[in-house]
Amino acid sequence: MTHEGSTTPAVPGAVVRSPSGLWSGRAREVGLRLGGLAIAILVVIVIFTFLSKPNTFFTVVNALGVTRGMSTIAIVALGLTLVIVVGEIDLSFGYMYGLASTLIAVSWIVWGWPLLFAIPLAFAGAALVGAVNGFLVAVARIPSFIVTLGTGSLIYGSTLLISNTATLNPQYPPPGKTVPQNEVDWFFGLSNQDLPLGFPMQGIWMIAVALIVGFVLSRSLFGFRLKAIGGNPLAAELARLPIRKYKFAAFITCSLLAALAAMLDFAFIGSTQPNAGLSLLFPVFAAVIIGGASLAGGRGTAIGTVSGALLLAIISNGLALLAAGAYLSQFVLGSVTIAAVVLDRFTQGLRR
Amino acid sequence: MTAARTERVEPGREAATGDAGLHIRGLRKWYGDTRALDGLDVDVSPGEILGIAGPNGSGKSTLIKILAGEVAADAGEIRLDGAIWETDVDRERVAVVHQEPQLFPNLTVGENVMVGREGTRALTRPLSEQERALMADLAILQFRHRPLATVPLAIQQRVEIARALARDARVFLFDEPNSALTPEESNDLFRRMHALADAGRVVLLVSHRIAELARHADRVALILDGRRATVLEGDRLTQEEIAGGLVVGQASREPDEAARVRSDGATVALRLSGWTHVDGDFSELDLEVRAGQIVAFVGVEGSGARELVRSLAGFERAAGRIEIAGHDRERDVAAATSLVAPDRQATLFDNLTIGENMVARLDREITTSGGALRPRRMLQIAHTLREQFRVKALSVNLPIRSLSGGNQQKVAIAAAIVKRPEVLVLEEPTRGVDIGSKREIYRLMGEYASQGRAVVIFCTEVPEVFEAADIAYVVSDGRLSDPLVVASFPEVEALARAITRLERHVPDAMTLPAA
Repeated sequence: MTHEGSTTPAVPGAVVRSPSGLWSGRAREVGLRLGGLAIAILVVIVIFTFLSKPNTFFTVVNALGVTRGMSTIAIVALGLTLVIVVGEIDLSFGYMYGLASTLIAVSWIVWGWPLLFAIPLAFAGAALVGAVNGFLVAVARIPSFIVTLGTGSLIYGSTLLISNTATLNPQYPPPGKTVPQNEVDWFFGLSNQDLPLGFPMQGIWMIAVALIVGFVLSRSLFGFRLKAIGGNPLAAELARLPIRKYKFAAFITCSLLAALAAMLDFAFIGSTQPNAGLSLLFPVFAAVIIGGASLAGGRGTAIGTVSGALLLAIISNGLALLAAGAYLSQFVLGSVTIAAVVLDRFTQGLRR
Repeated sequence: MTAARTERVEPGREAATGDAGLHIRGLRKWYGDTRALDGLDVDVSPGEILGIAGPNGSGKSTLIKILAGEVAADAGEIRLDGAIWETDVDRERVAVVHQEPQLFPNLTVGENVMVGREGTRALTRPLSEQERALMADLAILQFRHRPLATVPLAIQQRVEIARALARDARVFLFDEPNSALTPEESNDLFRRMHALADAGRVVLLVSHRIAELARHADRVALILDGRRATVLEGDRLTQEEIAGGLVVGQASREPDEAARVRSDGATVALRLSGWTHVDGDFSELDLEVRAGQIVAFVGVEGSGARELVRSLAGFERAAGRIEIAGHDRERDVAAATSLVAPDRQATLFDNLTIGENMVARLDREITTSGGALRPRRMLQIAHTLREQFRVKALSVNLPIRSLSGGNQQKVAIAAAIVKRPEVLVLEEPTRGVDIGSKREIYRLMGEYASQGRAVVIFCTEVPEVFEAADIAYVVSDGRLSDPLVVASFPEVEALARAITRLERHVPDAMTLPAA
């Protein structure tokens, strides 16, 4: 309790003014978090460099492989970050990923739609899913965990129905169907371009999405209010912040980014199947959490999430090169995720 | 243990009752640098109901917490029937009945009565004869198989009493027990309180409701600054005496402030007609608030005053006509008001900095046309507000929780004022705030009003009305009194008595409709 009045006059000059804007406090916190992540990433790189013999890990080719490997997770995780920051949760993005690539594949390859209609169909589907999630959470006020658990299952059912559980590849369409070669070339080009050094095209997409989400979260009114709403929903309501609109926007963006990642993977791999995306749930959540977002809402950054995805990708890649086996990979990834949160608690304690 | 100080003995009382009852001597409690209790003495005899009243921050709630065993006193002595009562050893002897019963909502009424005393041998045991008897006495035996959450609040409170009786508690402390009860339920609760006292138990009643203290307590102890407990009894136990005694020395006003008469003939900022709460907490209100005025609505919890004030900002649903600065469409009315809730958990964003909290309600003021933030502009606004509101912060970049409570409250109010609402709505604007910050907040409210805006506050404390408001309305049972011109009261005691008289206008409680 401060003792106010005559003893401590509030002369403007008497207080220390911070030179660097409203963000220096925030920047310090984010900086600490990112510093920790950077150290973790370096340590992991050093460990794998020494463990892999002959050195297949610390090479340009492998680094580019890691970049491609992380980009799907990073793009989806950036969308999830928005939802987490506003204080909600989305469990349906993995199913959404499967629905999006299936919608493109089925309408394009089976129904014979032009690709220029097939892709908007997938994104329209994603926007609809996001809007349904947003409606049930923000208007019907059902907890988002339950909503997205439910819509996830509905989406997966729709995907199985639409795809007839078939694996589809535009180069080998089902009997009686044809796909124009120029469309196939253009589509594959979305994720396959000859870039300098062989930099993966999906990495470019990831960087673009990260820049946009990063700007939105840290430099826009939308991001500012997203954090406020996630930080204290009650205060946000009493301050008349547009909570419903923002939750809608967060869920829709999350679904759209899952659809984007699905399309890019489909274009890179060349084929898709309905259960694509089901394995995304863990790594995407892990990337967001390792990146410093708080499941309680109000906290999260784009660079943190991308770094989280990078750390996970390096670990998976290194373990794969060492032929560590599936179960050990799972152990390591699980431990790293929990350790990240524990470390964060610990450093937060130190900061106070 | 006992602090060295002159003993204050109730004349007559002490000798007559001897050691029986509850005797508190020299109770002290500090929270950091803040003094909550500073040598408090209280005596309660078996068979009587002692009322306890005091303004917020008087140490009253600390006393309750100590008796409930939630916090330990720093010094002092509590004797129960002559023996020193140790909270940690002998918790069971004191029962606290809160407004919200602290029980197990998922268990049945019967299980709640016996939980903690089930015994060790069987999985469950039936209710004992004695438990059934006392549950029948309290008329809750028929609910024994119902989950607690499904029975009304009044029944839940009786379950709490039964639980305490079953373990043979000696002292019953009722903490604002009836603020959420209907008048019938309240009367029933008071009957049971008297029955407990008649059976020789020690009963304490903590209440904001002066009328009830005067009617039901045998004596009333007024706690003002954690030290003196002025005891009113006999002829002095009247509503006016309680009301006046509660505010002695609690407010001061500069002479020029007393002479202040704002804005007669100024434009009407807010007009209500036929304003009726959807849930029935107030009905058919007509009211005008002029620009430049600070208007206080005074009332206890349940009177409808809080709901009325919140409804002005659109946070309680009401029907009827509302007009603010010429607007009567719901959206425009909402845009022309800002509400500051009393609880800083409901106004501040813990994950944002001080400066970000200050600008959290703004939009166009801090963005470019494309929706990008303008960091330098935000910083500039934050610095201006920090100086204008004299927020004691080394930097506006620090976490909001690094500020003292009073400075946090200033930030919460600053964030609402910077939006420049036609009507600024504040609920208990200085609850839990130190004296220095209180003055500052009153000054800021006055400044904002003098810029031609209206300020509406919900108050539970008379000194706040005296120091801050121009006009006061007393709300009881959802109806407004005639306006009181605050400046016409030379001292706070007179205002307190006037407010109490207006609260007393409530017709007899038994005839009221259920809330």
